Amino acid sequence: MVVSSALSLYSRSPSSVSITLYIVMFVVYALAQGHFVTTPYGLSVLLNNSIALAVGATSLTFVVLTGGFDLSLAGTVALTNTILSVAGFKGVGGALEALVVVCLVGAIVGTVNGLLVAYYKLQSIAVTLGTMIMTSGIALFMLNAPGGTVPDSIAYGLTGLLGPVPVAIIILVPFTAAATVLLNYTRFGIGVFAIGQDRAAARASGVNVEWTEFRAYLTAGIVAGLSGYLVSAETGTGDPRFDASFLLLAFAAVAIGGTSFRGGRGTVIGSVVGAGLLELIQKTLFAVGVSSFFTGMFEGALMILAVLVGSLGSMMAARRSAAS
Amino acid sequence: MTRVLAQRAVLGVFALTAVLFVLSGFIAPALLSGPSLRTIGVLSSFVIIASFGQGIVILSGGLDLSIGSIITLGGVLLGAWVPQSNVGLWWAVPAILVIGFAFGAFNGFGVTVLRIPAFVMTLATGIIVQSAVLEYTKGAPQATAAPQLIADLIDSKWWGIPIIIYFVFVFIVIASLLENMSSFGRLVHAIGANPKAGVVAGLRSNCVTIGCYAISGFCAALCGIVLLGFVGAPILSMGDPYTMDSIAAVVVGGSSILGGIGTFPGTVGGALFLGVLSNDMTALGMKAAWRTLIQGAIIVLALIVFRSLQSERRRSRSGGAMSAVKQILLSAREPAE
Repeated sequence: MVVSSALSLYSRSPSSVSITLYIVMFVVYALAQGHFVTTPYGLSVLLNNSIALAVGATSLTFVVLTGGFDLSLAGTVALTNTILSVAGFKGVGGALEALVVVCLVGAIVGTVNGLLVAYYKLQSIAVTLGTMIMTSGIALFMLNAPGGTVPDSIAYGLTGLLGPVPVAIIILVPFTAAATVLLNYTRFGIGVFAIGQDRAAARASGVNVEWTEFRAYLTAGIVAGLSGYLVSAETGTGDPRFDASFLLLAFAAVAIGGTSFRGGRGTVIGSVVGAGLLELIQKTLFAVGVSSFFTGMFEGALMILAVLVGSLGSMMAARRSAAS
Repeated sequence: MTRVLAQRAVLGVFALTAVLFVLSGFIAPALLSGPSLRTIGVLSSFVIIASFGQGIVILSGGLDLSIGSIITLGGVLLGAWVPQSNVGLWWAVPAILVIGFAFGAFNGFGVTVLRIPAFVMTLATGIIVQSAVLEYTKGAPQATAAPQLIADLIDSKWWGIPIIIYFVFVFIVIASLLENMSSFGRLVHAIGANPKAGVVAGLRSNCVTIGCYAISGFCAALCGIVLLGFVGAPILSMGDPYTMDSIAAVVVGGSSILGGIGTFPGTVGGALFLGVLSNDMTALGMKAAWRTLIQGAIIVLALIVFRSLQSERRRSRSGGAMSAVKQILLSAREPAE
């Protein structure tokens, strides 16, 4: 009884594909790397690389669910990363101040995006392309070449261990939980799904389409700021240029997690696991000894595959839901 | 209605460019001199060539983010295959153009058959091409000079104007004809105006869309070839600015990012406007950061301006579905031009 209902839940969830693949991939990776992976340190290394991407993918999820695109993630990350590496925050207090700052920066970017897309009715790809370029430009003012140092409290604090547990998990679990609750159990979240599925119907049902869409971009912006915070923790240095690779991987994570680019269907968990999966694949390839030439080729091919796999999973899940 | 609007947009962009140009003369008289004009003309030429491909793709409702990488590929391959003495130019240039066309077609395939969103597909292809170039050159492209003929396009002049500008002028004429007068061009407009009609019409619309991306790849490769003449020796980042520059030129030139509206003359105007702006900023000694910031701001501003101009158009769009399908299907019976 429990098994059958669990199975039906599994087949109806769009993120089941990514979760399955992750488990499979993890086994492969563990075999390739040996015992190292199951130690807390090994686990933290794995997670540290994935967490920035996971948060970034979550940021995108909110926007993609409304049927839009948010390219400004890459710009917000560049800007917040640059700010953290030149502003000179110190210590734990500084780390907290920095957290507020990145959320503020993300909120500003998200507000601009939201106003132009939701209220001015401009196309999201174009607007977020513009804001991505602008934020990168602002970052270039602060730092005209990669450099600077991220405060130790952030770079070491977030990437280490708290006892036997990687700090990354302590961040990731509550974050994913909060984002999932926001998306699935609040009026805002339900409105986001509604807009993505059928804008006109959502409006007819009383959803304030503009306000909801605005908040989706605002949320995406704030979470993008958080992603930049984590990128800073991971790299320890600043880079004012927007990273197209990161953006591509974030979208791949969203796709492989089962969120449809048409909008209206998807999960936060899917994007988070999708991010982990992509990082895992890269690390496995590296562990097995594939040359770096293929990494670039692979990213591109992976992206294409991810969208295909994701849309397959989405289609399967949709069919199952319709049938039940 | 849309014709008039488009023409108005084109005139507007050229007028704006002229105004900016005159203004820059007040800031620094040197900006109006011959060498300055030549610089603007030559630098804009590259953007114009790349922007035609980008413009056709955007017209069909998509976006091409792989242009920069293909430009670099074109430049690097030409530098590697043809020494300064022009030996082998006759086969290398067509080969490179075909390669660009092929990568473009690959993009088109992903967008139509695999139904991958355009910006995702082209971004992926861009990264693939970039890493292929990186591997091919092992990080250090052969630092030979460009083939003499290509370099001559930039350096030699007829009546004081670099040859490349004549070349681009011919390019603009041919490209505009292709976009506005041919049945292919009409189909692109139709698909861009109503993508759902394209889906209904099926295979024919797929071929047209793939053609759009293939043309974009072709133009990017062409741009890379002539760009090598300007740059001298291929650099791995030579194509990078052109992805965003081409999008900016298309948007500023009045094409709707949604597709279906736009003209190449408008795009040319956009490219010239940005070229004058860029030249002014360089001459004033502004940091590169300003350029990036202003480019982004201009894209957003242009969107806002054109959106308010286009609000009438949107109301008449819903009636166009059936006529768009008809237009696509009817074109199948028209004789090719």
